[in-house]
Amino acid sequence: MAEIGEHKIAALAELRNQLGNQITSGSDLLRVQETRETRVATGLQGLNEQLGGGLPRGQLTEIISPGYSKGGGLVMAELMARARRERQYAVLFDVGRGFTPESFPESDLETLLWVGCESAKQAVEALDIASRDENFQLFLLDLRDCEPSDWSAVRSGQWYRILGQLRPREAVTVIFSRKAVTSAAKHRLSVENTLSIDSLDSERAGLLEQSRFTPMTFPVSTSHDSRKSRSALSIAG
Amino acid sequence: MGYHNHTTTNSGFAVLWCPDFRLQAVARGERNHETPLILVDDSKRQSVVLCGNDRAYQWEVEASMSTVQALARCPGLQVRRPSAAAEETAARLLLEAALSWVPGMEETEPGLLTLDLASQPSEEWEQNGYRVQRQLADLGFSTVIGMGQTPSLARIAAVAARESGEILWHLDPDRRLEFLDRLPLTIAETGAELNERLHLWGVKTLGSFARLSHQAVAARLGEEGVELWLRLTGRLQRPLRQAQLEHLFEERYEFDYELNDKEPLFFLINRLIERLSNRVSRTGRAAAAVVLVLTFTDGSCYAKRLALPEPTLEHEVLFRIISGHIEQIEMKTAVESLLLRYEPADRVSSQRLLFGAGLRNIHQFQETLKRLRKLVGSDFVGSPRFCDTHRPGTCELVPLPHDIPAIEDDENTLTGPPTTGPIFRKYPTAATAAVRLRDGYPIMVESSRINGVVIEHYGPWKCEGDWWHQGKIWNRTEWDIELLNQGLFRLIDTGRRWIIEGYYD
Repeated sequence: MAEIGEHKIAALAELRNQLGNQITSGSDLLRVQETRETRVATGLQGLNEQLGGGLPRGQLTEIISPGYSKGGGLVMAELMARARRERQYAVLFDVGRGFTPESFPESDLETLLWVGCESAKQAVEALDIASRDENFQLFLLDLRDCEPSDWSAVRSGQWYRILGQLRPREAVTVIFSRKAVTSAAKHRLSVENTLSIDSLDSERAGLLEQSRFTPMTFPVSTSHDSRKSRSALSIAG
Repeated sequence: MGYHNHTTTNSGFAVLWCPDFRLQAVARGERNHETPLILVDDSKRQSVVLCGNDRAYQWEVEASMSTVQALARCPGLQVRRPSAAAEETAARLLLEAALSWVPGMEETEPGLLTLDLASQPSEEWEQNGYRVQRQLADLGFSTVIGMGQTPSLARIAAVAARESGEILWHLDPDRRLEFLDRLPLTIAETGAELNERLHLWGVKTLGSFARLSHQAVAARLGEEGVELWLRLTGRLQRPLRQAQLEHLFEERYEFDYELNDKEPLFFLINRLIERLSNRVSRTGRAAAAVVLVLTFTDGSCYAKRLALPEPTLEHEVLFRIISGHIEQIEMKTAVESLLLRYEPADRVSSQRLLFGAGLRNIHQFQETLKRLRKLVGSDFVGSPRFCDTHRPGTCELVPLPHDIPAIEDDENTLTGPPTTGPIFRKYPTAATAAVRLRDGYPIMVESSRINGVVIEHYGPWKCEGDWWHQGKIWNRTEWDIELLNQGLFRLIDTGRRWIIEGYYD
């Protein structure tokens, strides 16, 4: 058996010598892909600057509103309006079904497909289905009313499968939540806005200009991680 | 959330039906419609009648009766036998006629096509329907056309047209119930058991069945009843299984003799081009590519797809391309057969996104919708729209439009009101709150979701409505409040309790 193994290793080494530079490692391929990545400019200058030009196509981006009235809804409204102006269809996966159409200009709803979901798990399953459809260019996943325990039910592998479906079609996906959701996200930004009672009468375009975006880098506790920590605890116990 | 489904009236379908298709396929060349005709099946021990024409039915000839019995009943009865070749030709002619009307269709059954009319303005539907019927009548076919909001309603309309002796029925969405009131239950092609039960209940027309409530039908009649109700109310949408048209424009010639020379081949190709071009031009299309297949006496075969630089039906161009290619082929043995096929350019689908935007793949879109509805429920998938009411949170879900018109607007402006304030979002379940008031204004709020001091407020905004509908009256008093270090919320006084409805974000 050992002879066969050595023989194989030798054959592989010879092949590598013969092919030389034609062999490309996975990390090299990833770098090449990143340089090819195209971006969709949003109407939000601060967001575009932090993302290097706009939302990356074929990737997941997280927009975190750490509390109420931080402006996450305004960002979502702007992305919907942009999709309508660009004559593209958008899908909103609304966990908790708290979407209020009367807050949006009616014309911005014309190209929106609303999917009311009862849990984060269901929303991700719905995203998994819709991300295979070539008709949609923008997916918005609203997890703002979810508890982190809700999305721990989502298998981390499912996020990567969705990514695999988004890449070839270069569709943009933005997740809105209170905390970081998945390590599969390419970018994670927190949005801060100082909304007061006077904001109710302020022009929406002016409110959007006040939004500040900050990159976030803290680690994500995925379902996989929590399983690992649970098993570690049980071993320790 | 107050959403309800709404069906669009912009889309439409037509069913083009050639009744007793197998008989018409073999007898369409016979112009004497006064002759009673039957199609018989001789493959069994006793020959039986498959179907007959109206003249034969007048003599009480029926399907499944023995041929001998039919001949005894009807003097001068002519007997025809099925022909697969004739049926194939007839099916091709039907498809070609339908293609001259719309680009997308489904071969639902032999002799029955379902056409998607979405690509046409609705005011032209009937006019085009009559035109296609005249075209088919010239070829010896007797057809009926039914039109409706959905494929199921179009089929019901076609059956109704046949039963009433008319040639075209349009089940107008605005007068749907009025039309259905005129139709007996048997038109919907449902099971005998369901028909019997409905008959006993006194439900005799499709219109009276469609007026029953969804819940009542589901509770009493189960799946079959619900399916019929959905069909009649136009809620049963399904994507069409697009007919395979790749081999439609094809001409084949088998040589009776061994052909070793190319000249006779060119002569034949000339004729086939003319025939195919005529057929394709009747559908309003042009050839985007030509497929040439030659089989040889030694069993070998030569096939080549010749893509054209742009769709055309110009005889000279096509002949030059095909003959030029054949010139280069080295024929070692004699040619046995020749096949020529045109791949027509679909002008509607190819030009769909040229100047506009919309669904790229309607079939895939329908599949996605179906799967999403199965996952989250059909009441939670759709494009939201406002309703004509002041009642907060009331809106409806409509299907996504298939085309997206451009917005004539400055790029940097928002597209229509509301353009002020942040976005309101409701909590999944409204939280009951304890509110402390001073001089009638809220100063402190405590609830399971948020607690805090009210530093600013707008309101009260009193609103009420539907007092003219018994049992549906609603009234409430709204406040917009800013809580210290918490954010902006909407507080509701229902008269009985306070609730935090949601937040601005």
